[in-house]
Amino acid sequence: MAALGRAALLLSFGLVVYALVGGSIAAAKRRRRLALSAQNALLASFATTLVAAGVLWAALARHDFSFVYVAEHTNIQLPLGYRLSAFWGGQEGSLLLWLLVLSGYSALAVWLNRRTRELMAWVVPVLAGVATFFAFMLCFVSSPFGTAPAPADGAGMVPSLQNPYMLAHPPLLYLGYVGLTIPFAFAMGALLSRRTDERWIVATRRWTLSAWMFLGVGQLIGAHWAYVEIGWGGYYAWDPVENAALMPWLAATAFLHSVMIQEKRGMLKVWNMVLVSLAFLLSIFGTFLTRSGVINSIHSFSQSPIGGWFLGFIIICTVFAVGLIYLRLPLLRARTKLESLVSREATFLYNNLLLVALCLTILWGVMYPLLSQAVRGETRSVSKPYYDFFLHTFGLPLLLLMGIGPLVAWRRASLRALGKTFLIPLAAAIVTGGVLIGLGFDSSWPGLLAYTFSAFVAASIVFEFVRGTRATGSLFRLIGKNRRRYGGYIVHAAILLLAIGIAGSSAYQTVRERGLHVGQSLELAGTTLTYEGLQTRQTANAVETRAVVKATRGNSTVATLHPGKNLYPVTPLGPQTSNEVSIYHDPRNLGDLFLIADQIDRNGTLYLKALVKPLVNLIWAAGFLFLFGSLVAMWPDAVEQRRLAERYAAAPA
Amino acid sequence: MRRSPARLVIALSVAAALAVFVVYTAVAGAGTPQIQPSDLARHTDAVLLVGKVVSSSGDAHSTVGLRFVLRNVNGHPRARAHVLYHGTVPDLFGVSREVVVSGTLHNGVFVATDGSLSTKCPSKYTPAKKTT
Amino acid sequence: MTLALVLGAGLALAVVFFVARPFLREPAPTSDVLDEPSELERRRLELVEERDRALAALKELEFDHRTGKVTDDDYREQVGPLRRSAAAALRALELRAEATHERIPSGR
Repeated sequence: MAALGRAALLLSFGLVVYALVGGSIAAAKRRRRLALSAQNALLASFATTLVAAGVLWAALARHDFSFVYVAEHTNIQLPLGYRLSAFWGGQEGSLLLWLLVLSGYSALAVWLNRRTRELMAWVVPVLAGVATFFAFMLCFVSSPFGTAPAPADGAGMVPSLQNPYMLAHPPLLYLGYVGLTIPFAFAMGALLSRRTDERWIVATRRWTLSAWMFLGVGQLIGAHWAYVEIGWGGYYAWDPVENAALMPWLAATAFLHSVMIQEKRGMLKVWNMVLVSLAFLLSIFGTFLTRSGVINSIHSFSQSPIGGWFLGFIIICTVFAVGLIYLRLPLLRARTKLESLVSREATFLYNNLLLVALCLTILWGVMYPLLSQAVRGETRSVSKPYYDFFLHTFGLPLLLLMGIGPLVAWRRASLRALGKTFLIPLAAAIVTGGVLIGLGFDSSWPGLLAYTFSAFVAASIVFEFVRGTRATGSLFRLIGKNRRRYGGYIVHAAILLLAIGIAGSSAYQTVRERGLHVGQSLELAGTTLTYEGLQTRQTANAVETRAVVKATRGNSTVATLHPGKNLYPVTPLGPQTSNEVSIYHDPRNLGDLFLIADQIDRNGTLYLKALVKPLVNLIWAAGFLFLFGSLVAMWPDAVEQRRLAERYAAAPA
Repeated sequence: MRRSPARLVIALSVAAALAVFVVYTAVAGAGTPQIQPSDLARHTDAVLLVGKVVSSSGDAHSTVGLRFVLRNVNGHPRARAHVLYHGTVPDLFGVSREVVVSGTLHNGVFVATDGSLSTKCPSKYTPAKKTT
Repeated sequence: MTLALVLGAGLALAVVFFVARPFLREPAPTSDVLDEPSELERRRLELVEERDRALAALKELEFDHRTGKVTDDDYREQVGPLRRSAAAALRALELRAEATHERIPSGR
């Protein structure tokens, strides 16, 4: 069966190479049948990749240890769900997942746009070009279909990967990462076909939005996973692997905004081409970082051959994008100019600059070890203080802009108009700031600023909805008739919640650590934590040790928590302990009381680390609101669809 | 502003961002060196020490602390670093595990910053376990 | 093993057939040229987009005025030029459409 998988991948490779070469010739020499044939090849590559994926999934499901990949990542005891998720648990399988999503998306995009033959003639070879790289890697460098004499049992899956997060996090991230390839391909296709209209933007708007949504949700799930499973008390560590997903997301956020300006005012055409390319290149760079171990390790490429291939591909794509944009610069002239620095276009521009600045500083931080090694011969790295500084410097103004943007009119806003619309949000911010300072929140100035700006943004968003509802009559109709705009405001509200949650749980958190004997207690934030004893439990594959800790406020018990450790005697890495944190969701501050059993001695001494993280649960709530807002913004609008169909129909003869 | 204020704004903003960046780097320093035990003797400043655990003993939560010995991840097979550490120890810590710890060399012993020990997870798909 | 062989061969055949289909369906077509929008069509598209932009901007201005984001003075100031550019775009499109109508009977 592995042979079928290999054959299917070889077919995929052949098909995408044909689509690339044949499609390019067809587009350049204007050959209709060849273009259609290339399109069919791209569609067929999804079928063959699906077959290959099916082969791997089937092998995983039936414990076929003759597949090296199955033997390396699963064992007989592993439940079916995790066996299937082992598909993306290793290098080769995750590459296959990437190709599967890419070919699926490509097939869908090509199918939905098959009538715009002239644009698709060039989009097909670009999509095929990206797929060629991944198919090549899967066929000749890193194949999931290697076979060997089947061992009696497989190596099994690392315990930390055996949880529902592993089922959701990578696929969602891939739906996001790979999704950014589609707008890139359409943009390059538009340039290659010398089109000056906005068709490619209209065609890819929902693709960009959905990729961005998946990437955002995927990251939040990853953060939640880190928070509850790895359990160091935080949710984001500025690790290169985490940044790998954040950077394309920031670039895509900037692109989503600036593309609106191009649609409305015909400006920023070159900028949008650069942004969409940046988002795509960062998505490839992101997966390259995650797999090659280039940054985490000290001495890079020699350790992982796959890194070299990816780097080469990134360079080729960068040269292609930059070269093409440069060659087509004359076509990308703006139709209008920015009329006023006080206009919604201008705020979008500032928003873009801040987002890109943040993205690039993160990129610099991630690349710094490699750059310093190359330039000074010594590897240096930056850490949390660096990232926090720039998150504050660029992120806080961004937060404020989120509130300012909706209040400013397009084209030109007079100061009188601004005075009217700004008045109440500004008042809300000042009052909030004053109250917070009075309550002692000035212990952290970034936190104080975040909260104050949030008050401004909250007031601004509420007013948008109130004013809009008054004008249209009902909230439902308001949102229904302006899905993009009000869906966008809902997403802004989600980002606002996210900002408040992050500010509260980082700027205003309390941490205490102590070694405790049974009966002793530790105090923090008005709560007393008393260590009552130890409990041990034996399960199928682990010994679970839990410390019983009672949390009391005054005379009443707030909760009983059970932080501890699990010992897994048998794993691919030998005996393993895993940290099991205990979290109490405190309704008083919408935050968490977070307990970590740092160390449990044989004599029963517990080294307890306790954190109070106010407002942290807003972060997860924000995820749901973000999802909802994105869906509203994406929701098809019959009126708009009709108008667009009429616009792009053939000219009346 | 008749001639495209956009260009001016962009230029000024980029300049401002760069200025902020340069000032920050000048003030806060350009990162921390990441070194292996073989290079340790040459550094008296705060560094990030990367190495593989050879042996360890003691208790990181006791006053005496955890003492462990690191060797190079690659090259210089004889190089050793002696580390004294207090604070949280990651679950994956153990002999032959690759770890990163920050601190400074004092009298031949690398005194680590409390809680700065982290391990690199051998699988490619989980980020390094952090303790701070 | 033979199952894999059969499936693989079947897949390969299906795929090759699908890719060759355009050539098999039309072995000797009258025209194999991939149409591209003529200069006329491109211009029309640009004008249509300009018209839609102007109309959308007008609609948004009206909405912003109704919700109180744009003052009466600002509205009066901006609505005139916007209406004019929308009208201009509509007129240009009509002219283009007329020109196309005239050209086709005589030009073809």
